[in-house]
Amino acid sequence: MRKQLFNVGAILQGLGITFKYMFAKRPTIEYPSIKKQHAPRFHGLHELRRYADGKERCIGCELCSSACPANAITVIGAENSPDARVSPGERRAASYEIDELRCIFCGLCEEACPTDAIVLTPRFEMADYRRGAFVYSKDRLLVPTDAGVGTPPDERPNGIPADLGRVAEVKSTTNVDRGYSATHRGEVLKTERKGLAG
Amino acid sequence: MSSAPATSDLVSLTIDGVPLQVRKGTLLVEATKMVKQEIPVYCYHTKLGPAGLCRVCLVEVEGTPKLQIGCNTPVAEGMVVRTRGENVEKGRAMVLELLLVNHPLDCPICDKGGECDLQDYAIAYGRGSSDLADPKTSKPKAVDLGPTIVLDEERCVVCQRCVRFDDLIVGERQLVLKDRGHRNMIATATGDPYRHNFTGNVTELCPVGALTSKTYRFKSRPWDLRRTETSCTQCSVGCRMNIDLRHGNVLRTMSVEGDDAVSDWWLCDRGRYNIGYIDSPERIKQPLLRRDGTFVQIGWDDAFALWAKAIRSAIDAGGPERVAAIGGGRLTNEEAYLLARTMRSLGVKNLDWRAGRQRQATPGSSGGTLLDLERAGAIVTIGESPAELAPVMDLRVRKAVRHGARLIRVAAQEAPPSMPFQDVADVAAAAAAIPANVTRVALIWDGVDNALAHAAFAALSREGRTLLTYIAGEQGNARGAEAMGMLPFAGPGYHVADAGHDFDGICDAALSGKIETLAIFGANPVLNSADGAHVRAALQAIPFLVVTELFMTETAKLASLVLPAAGAFEKSGSMVNLAGDVLPTSAALAPPDGVLGDFEIVVGLARALEIELPDSDEIERATIAAAAALPVGIAFGDERFAGAAKKDLSGEGLRLHVLHHAFAGGGTLAHDERIAALQPEPTAAFAAADADRLGIRAGDRIDLVGAGGTIGDLLAERRDTLAPGNVAFVGLRSGSAANEIAVGSRVRVENIRHSDVPVEA
Ligand code: SF4
Ligand code: SF4
Ligand code: SF4
Ligand code: SF4
Ligand code: FES
Repeated sequence: MRKQLFNVGAILQGLGITFKYMFAKRPTIEYPSIKKQHAPRFHGLHELRRYADGKERCIGCELCSSACPANAITVIGAENSPDARVSPGERRAASYEIDELRCIFCGLCEEACPTDAIVLTPRFEMADYRRGAFVYSKDRLLVPTDAGVGTPPDERPNGIPADLGRVAEVKSTTNVDRGYSATHRGEVLKTERKGLAG
Repeated sequence: MSSAPATSDLVSLTIDGVPLQVRKGTLLVEATKMVKQEIPVYCYHTKLGPAGLCRVCLVEVEGTPKLQIGCNTPVAEGMVVRTRGENVEKGRAMVLELLLVNHPLDCPICDKGGECDLQDYAIAYGRGSSDLADPKTSKPKAVDLGPTIVLDEERCVVCQRCVRFDDLIVGERQLVLKDRGHRNMIATATGDPYRHNFTGNVTELCPVGALTSKTYRFKSRPWDLRRTETSCTQCSVGCRMNIDLRHGNVLRTMSVEGDDAVSDWWLCDRGRYNIGYIDSPERIKQPLLRRDGTFVQIGWDDAFALWAKAIRSAIDAGGPERVAAIGGGRLTNEEAYLLARTMRSLGVKNLDWRAGRQRQATPGSSGGTLLDLERAGAIVTIGESPAELAPVMDLRVRKAVRHGARLIRVAAQEAPPSMPFQDVADVAAAAAAIPANVTRVALIWDGVDNALAHAAFAALSREGRTLLTYIAGEQGNARGAEAMGMLPFAGPGYHVADAGHDFDGICDAALSGKIETLAIFGANPVLNSADGAHVRAALQAIPFLVVTELFMTETAKLASLVLPAAGAFEKSGSMVNLAGDVLPTSAALAPPDGVLGDFEIVVGLARALEIELPDSDEIERATIAAAAALPVGIAFGDERFAGAAKKDLSGEGLRLHVLHHAFAGGGTLAHDERIAALQPEPTAAFAAADADRLGIRAGDRIDLVGAGGTIGDLLAERRDTLAPGNVAFVGLRSGSAANEIAVGSRVRVENIRHSDVPVEA
């Protein structure tokens, strides 16, 4: 009997805690209408940078892909044609793909890049319905042409950009809402699916 | 290997505290490798020797006040050498700092990055920073050096390996070092494009990324590549070769360091660069059956069933004499063996590998090794020289000539080689031209004219002289095909068998309606035989012609059934090269979907015919035994191999010779657009007397007209070494009329268009 009374005490104690939190400030937020402030060095979805003149910073060197511990990056290089340069110098990335499902968001690719081309932004909304949709290629990774930063090194391919190291600190050179939000893509897919189902 | 050297030839020394004994005259850099230490080198190369240019190989030798260069210091008795230590490290770091003064910071885009000696040594021995603050010099980048090579002058460390390769190994002397000091630049001496059959090797020799291959530029990085070691099957040398793949695509081929026996560490450009055909969209991917004049796609089972039915009904109607098979030099030993065995088990004797101009591939018991060749005191070539037929073998010839051998060409048609030579009219003159003191003579034959070869062998044989024979013909695994029994008169291991028709006989029988079905594996006789028109007519007369091919060649177009076959890099097996070495070939990638290897094709046929096949162990044992069989009883220029008497080719006009060129022909070359620039310009060379008589100047455009057609728009050339009455044509390609006009027949020159600027011959 005595023991049972003791149990009632424990229950009351538990309820007390519950009551306390009923009046405390709630930590949950109404995502997605409310978004949380990230830590300044949060690592999310990648973006590929451009120079201010619109040229791609990436030179297709594959250093990011060899630094990547998760084998998430595949780069295939190609020769730049001198009259229509995609990036400064001789080499460019003909294809650049990151499998965001393999990626562990360690940022080593960003560290390895000799031109500050690949940078991890704070964007994290990549949810999708198909695995294939997580393989991001240049069409989704590259920032818009007018969102470039920095002056390209001269046309000599050995020119190292003057802003090396500083560009990567800026976590995103584009407005988060611009262009190619993954969430937006998810919505599109949802609609597509509904369309298909209906 | 060689016998142990006498003790007096040995020198004792200590390297990094390890005592060792090496042969007198050994260079420190090589001796160091024996104690598993490394001396860094740029200008030194095992095959090029020391040059003493780069100074990165500094080592400390006790008792000498200054650091010594390890690449050019021979060992000495009692020497104490240190390849590490403070002094050495300081010296090396200084050399590297100076080398990097003007070297661009290009590594991320440089194709050599990841396998670059400058990167590796800078990390291993460099300082990591530099005291020199002046800006780097800038020099031309991406210089188009020729059809194969791009040069980045800024990256060059002036080791001159490329220049020395061109001089010492190839003997072409096209590359030179221009200007002085920091303005040093590599260029061709004349300013013309850098072009010969071995240019690709400089990209491997270059310790930095200054010389790169056009076909590989920026496609990959070294760490992406998956490597398979195999043998090149493009010609009968069978150079050991590494194939580098990325994402299932062959991106480049590399020579195999240490392959002294076959390739001597080199590759020719044909073997190195002719890889683009593998993923050509023009490849045949499904069996094709001719129905009412057009080809329709069918399944493999139907194909085998139709083929087996054709063979069965031919045998039922007229016996196995009505069936024939050609297994060209594209087959591996295993495939050739299985084909011969399957056919012989049906009683078919009409078997041959010879579907071109070459008649014989096994030189008999006098055959020499490739290493023997470079030690010959005199080298006699009859027929076409190996320069285009077996390019890397020709480098051995050049090596021998550089060491003092005399090169004698009998009735040569082709352009003079880049080294000293002597042209003679016949074999008797060749025998007379060999100095009396020469005891080792090499005789190289293209395998075409057996009577000539026989005469040459007899004329050159002498008491007290070693005569080594070689056959450098036009087909890759021809010697293997012979050993495996793809001959009308011999089975595996050259055992005599009931004789059937050879290829000429098959053609004649076909023309008189006596061949019901012929299978051609890996050969294109319509383009490559001496008389294309005759072969075409014969093949058209065969009711059921089966061709296994990669592409719709001239021959495949005539077939009733075309079967898609795997290419050389897509199948494993073995081959026998011209020197009798048995070499493994390994599949680097799988054939495209729907394509089978020739081995599987024969297996499929045998199944459809309900022939019992040996198991793979037995095939392996049998092929090894056959490949290792000594070619006893086969003479050099054996008359059993000789072709039927040529039809009468005398008459008016010039005698037409169609010469081989490493980059002329059909097949894999015609379907590789990346190396289209390497195909030779179709050219006709005339003896000076003929040229004068006909009013032809070098650089003119002419047409050659023969009984079978016209070879139009040829560049005329004068060749003083050519005997009057001959015209030498180079540049055979698919669709050329040269194969319709029989080789050796008479042609006349028409339609001479003089060039505005006469070119000096
Ligand atoms: S963040 Fe890390 S895991 Fe992700 S792609 Fe970059 S290197 Fe690879
Ligand atoms: S993103 Fe940077 S490291 Fe990756 S390939 Fe491009 S330039 Fe090289
Ligand atoms: S191009 Fe390469 S091989 Fe030739 S000298 Fe320069 S560094 Fe040496
Ligand atoms: S010499 Fe012959 S075997 Fe050697 S790389 Fe050239 S084609 Fe291939
Ligand atoms: S390797 Fe010895 S001087 Fe270059």
